[in-house]
Amino acid sequence: MTRIDFHIHPVQVQELHDSDASLDRAVRGPFGLQMPPQPLATLLLHLDAGAIDKAVMLPLDCTTAHGTTIVSNEQVAWLAEQSDRLIPFASVDPMVPNAPKALEHAVRSYGARGLKLDPALQQFAVDDHDHAYPIYQTCVELGIPILIHCGMSWAPTGMASLAHPLLLERVIHDFPSLPFVIAHMGWPWVRESAMLAIKHRHICLDTSVLFSGTPTDSVRTAIEEIGGIDTLDRSLSKQIVFGSNYPRVDPKRAVWAIEALDLRSRLADRIFFGNASRLLGLDKELPCDR
Amino acid sequence: MRSIVLRRTVQTPGDTALVNITSDVHRAVAESGIANGLALVMTLHTTTAITVNEGLEDLEDDILELIQRLVPANAPYRHARFLDSDGQMAVNAPSHLRGALLGMEVLFPVEDGKLVIGGRQTIYLVELDGPLLRNWVVHVLGD
Repeated sequence: MTRIDFHIHPVQVQELHDSDASLDRAVRGPFGLQMPPQPLATLLLHLDAGAIDKAVMLPLDCTTAHGTTIVSNEQVAWLAEQSDRLIPFASVDPMVPNAPKALEHAVRSYGARGLKLDPALQQFAVDDHDHAYPIYQTCVELGIPILIHCGMSWAPTGMASLAHPLLLERVIHDFPSLPFVIAHMGWPWVRESAMLAIKHRHICLDTSVLFSGTPTDSVRTAIEEIGGIDTLDRSLSKQIVFGSNYPRVDPKRAVWAIEALDLRSRLADRIFFGNASRLLGLDKELPCDR
Repeated sequence: MRSIVLRRTVQTPGDTALVNITSDVHRAVAESGIANGLALVMTLHTTTAITVNEGLEDLEDDILELIQRLVPANAPYRHARFLDSDGQMAVNAPSHLRGALLGMEVLFPVEDGKLVIGGRQTIYLVELDGPLLRNWVVHVLGD
C-alpha cells in the first residue's frame, strides 16, 4: 500500500539547525519542542518505520506573533530537494502585507503544493476579510489546498480559541471551491469538524488526533465521537487523510492507530493515499470530489 | 588508575533492532590505551538496552520476539500522555519497560590491552523505539 503522511513539522532536522542558529530558539520557544535534532536520514527512516512513501513538510511563518519562522519556506524547499519523498507546503503570515505575493512566490518558485495555516500559533482571525481572505483567494487562484490547524494547540502560546472549526464556517461558504484540511480532526471539537466536512465536500479532516493516551486510543475515541467507522465509511471516506503531526508523535505510531481500526481496505487506501493524492494534485481528480 | 570515557553514536534502522557493536567496543578499548582493568559498555537512553548473546540471526529474532511478548505493545499503560518537558507525546511505555528488563550496561575485563570476551559473545545495542541516532559509551578503567 502507498502511504502519504499529510502532517509533518520538519523542526528537528539537524541539517536545518546546523545552517540556522535561530531555529533552535524558535523550536524550543514558540513551537515548544524540547527534543534534540536528528539527521534528515533519521526522518526518512521514521517514514520507513511506518511504511510511508511520502510526507508533507509544513513550515510556519509566525513573524507577527512571535517574530520568527518555525522552519521557513526556503528551508522546506531545500528539504524537498534532498528527497523526492518530501512534499513542500508553504506558510505565510496573513498579517504581513505582502503575504499573498509571498505565497505565490513559494508555489511558483519553490514548488509548494499547499498552504499551512495555524491561527492558534500565528494568532490571526480566520474570518478576517482584510488579512486572511486575500490569502484564501490566492490559494483559489493557485489551485492549492490549505492545511489549517484546528482545536487544541500543544504550542505553549497557541490559542485554541482562534482555532475553533466553527470560525471557519463563513469562510467555507465564501470560498466554496477551496479545499481545507482541518488538522487533528479539530479536537476537542471533533463533532463540529465532522459536521463541516459532512456538509461541505471541499472540507477534509486529518487523523493526527493527539490529546491523551496513545494515538491508537485518541483516534479511536475521536472516531467513536462522530458515530464510529460507519460515519467515516458512509459520509467521509473521500474527505479524511492520514497525518502524524511528527515530531509530536512518531509516524509509525500514527500508522498503527489507523491499522488498529481494522478498516475495509478501500477506506484505508483512501485515508492513507487516495485522498491526499487528490488534494496534492498527484492524480487528475478534483480534491475531495465524491 | 586511569579513567577513559569514549562516546559513540549509531543510527538505528527501525522500531526495534539488535545492532552489533562488538567491533566498536574492541576499537574503543584499544583506543583507550589501558592495558589491564575493566570496560563498561553503557547506553545513554532509556528506550535502548545493552545485551550480550550469540551473534546468530535466529537468536536475534528470538530475543526481539521474547521482549515483545513479555511487554505487549497494547496495554493500559499510564505513560501515555503529552509530556510538557519534551513537547511531544510520551506514548512509548512498552519501549521503556523492555529497556528496563534488558538493562543499560554490560561489563568486561580488559587484559593486555584487549577485551576478555567469549568466542560466541556478541555485544548489542538494542533499539526499542527507533529509528533514531543513539548515543552510547565505553568507559575503560585501569592502568
